[in-house]
Amino acid sequence: MKLTRLLSPAALLLAWLSVTACFQAAADETCNSPYIASLIKGQEDLVYVWTLGEPGLGDGSDKLVTIDVNPKSATYGKVIHTVSVGRRGEAHHMGFTDDRRYLWAGGLDDSNIYVFDVAADPAKPRLVRTISDLPAKTGFVGPHTFYAIPGRMVVGALSNTKDGSGVTGMTVFSNQGKLIRSVPMPVGGGGDGYGYDIGINPRKNVMLTSSFTGKTNYMTDLGKLVKDEAAMKKFGNTMVVWDAKSLKPKKVLAVPGSPLEIRWSLNPKDNWAVVATALTSKIWLIKQDAKGAWQAMEVATIGDPAKIPLPVDISITHDGKGLWVNTFMDGKTHYFDLSDPEHPKQTYEKVTGKQVNMISQSWDGKRVYITSSLLANWDKKGEDNEQFLRAFNWDGKELTPAFEVDFIKEKLGRAHHMKLGTRHLKSAYADEPVERVARMQ
Amino acid sequence: MLAAAAGAHDVLPPLEFEPPAPGSYRLDHIMPAPDGTVLDVRNRRARLSALTAGRITLLSFVYTHCSDETGCPLAYGVMDALRGRLVHDPAAAARVQFISLSFDPQRDTPEAMKLYGGDRAAARQGPRWHFLTTPSPRELKPLLDGFGQDLSLVLDEEGRPTGNLSHVLKVFLIDPKSEVREIYSTSYLQPRMVLNDIQTLLLEEGSAAH
Repeated sequence: MKLTRLLSPAALLLAWLSVTACFQAAADETCNSPYIASLIKGQEDLVYVWTLGEPGLGDGSDKLVTIDVNPKSATYGKVIHTVSVGRRGEAHHMGFTDDRRYLWAGGLDDSNIYVFDVAADPAKPRLVRTISDLPAKTGFVGPHTFYAIPGRMVVGALSNTKDGSGVTGMTVFSNQGKLIRSVPMPVGGGGDGYGYDIGINPRKNVMLTSSFTGKTNYMTDLGKLVKDEAAMKKFGNTMVVWDAKSLKPKKVLAVPGSPLEIRWSLNPKDNWAVVATALTSKIWLIKQDAKGAWQAMEVATIGDPAKIPLPVDISITHDGKGLWVNTFMDGKTHYFDLSDPEHPKQTYEKVTGKQVNMISQSWDGKRVYITSSLLANWDKKGEDNEQFLRAFNWDGKELTPAFEVDFIKEKLGRAHHMKLGTRHLKSAYADEPVERVARMQ
Repeated sequence: MLAAAAGAHDVLPPLEFEPPAPGSYRLDHIMPAPDGTVLDVRNRRARLSALTAGRITLLSFVYTHCSDETGCPLAYGVMDALRGRLVHDPAAAARVQFISLSFDPQRDTPEAMKLYGGDRAAARQGPRWHFLTTPSPRELKPLLDGFGQDLSLVLDEEGRPTGNLSHVLKVFLIDPKSEVREIYSTSYLQPRMVLNDIQTLLLEEGSAAH
């Protein structure tokens, strides 16, 4: 029998560093928290798409769509399952629990949080819990980001019940759905109180958050919104550096133009994150300066800012050397070389749709998935309102179409956030008879 | 009290950041710790709650056949490093204990856990360290589910179990009232941070006593 080898302090440090390296280097689609387990290192089998319902299209409700994406499968490229939540609440983003057994998904309009079991049968997710009292208990509206920490889920919101502005906060839930604490975004001292994405670097005990806008803006028709000068001033211009352990804000960084998705480099040698700003069309780098203070610096331009291409989702490669950026208005997918993160260089672009938003990639970067919808009131109209998931193969030079699912033709709705899934894990002891669960008194 | 012992007996690897001071932050009440039937190294049955009541407990799910140095052996290493620090503070050591609980009862018998624990299972100095298993999966599963410790069989292309297990390494910090107050996975299993959390709970106990 193999006995555990006792580790010296130096060996312990090396082991812990290799753990964080292992986690960071092995991540797949890069929206995942560093605490996510069972990372898919090979071929993914499934893509889950959190889909916004569209009146008159199918049941009109928000739904979780499951697509088979394994080329060896007989149903490759096909929708194999849907689970509707029975209402339309502006389905937007979702996130795995740390054990990857559940997907938490949110609605920006009704503020519902839906919990789907994706472990019992990964190809047939089940809705197992609905949390509908987030606004009542916290005053926060629009659960946007679902970020796993051990045994818990941090939910970042976009707005509030008082005035529908972007002043908001985060809520920590246990994986069982119990509300543990709520944390307001800092206001004052440079803080605007706005929130959007969350990204943690455990090695540095740093959590970054970004800033978008409130419900009065994101539920307003985009054409009307851009003409409202006062409303257009109500977008976030900050990122916050937090102590991830204590969940206390340490510093507010000025990042004008609504910084959105945060991506820490997954390369174990790196210690920086990037973000794209939607309104100013820039890439910003967040890193420590020579004195160890966290700073934000503008490092690249995306497209022609004067045309407001509206950068939206970004996806960093597992080695931290490349960054995909989608621009919504012109439907382009851009690739930036991040070999020198202080000087990113665009090396590729392709029009991949009339409107494009989310982008996810396989761990090895060879497969790229793109969806279309941003927000129901911001998506384009008429023939430009394509709704799809498009899968591409990437050989480092060209995106080659692999398959497409037309979400309008399939009567599904507006395709939004994606997460990759696998069929290759089965719960141990799933079929064993069990003793009744007891809780300690 | 632990800080006083630190200087001469610092066996913990350094951090790349300045952690928040013990007692300066809140450890949330995450969930009540689940209870269930366990076996110790002498094959004696006990309720887990009876073992954890009244002490600060660091509990890790392990299995002795784990060959991943960044998995169960890492948890063992962290707990042993903390034990090395606490040995020099008998007052704190008396209020803290460790539990290594197997999630492979078919292979990890009480005898196997005794061998796995080695002299740590019988140590008279420092915090008590229990090496536990369960009579069968029937008693184990509610503990796994209750703690939220996932455990999966890795399947091959044909859907057959390969014999390997996949799990998120999780270590649970349980307070004397049997509330889970922190959960560590590999990315956050830093000995100094765990020690700070133990110290935070000790300070909390001290405040409650007054």
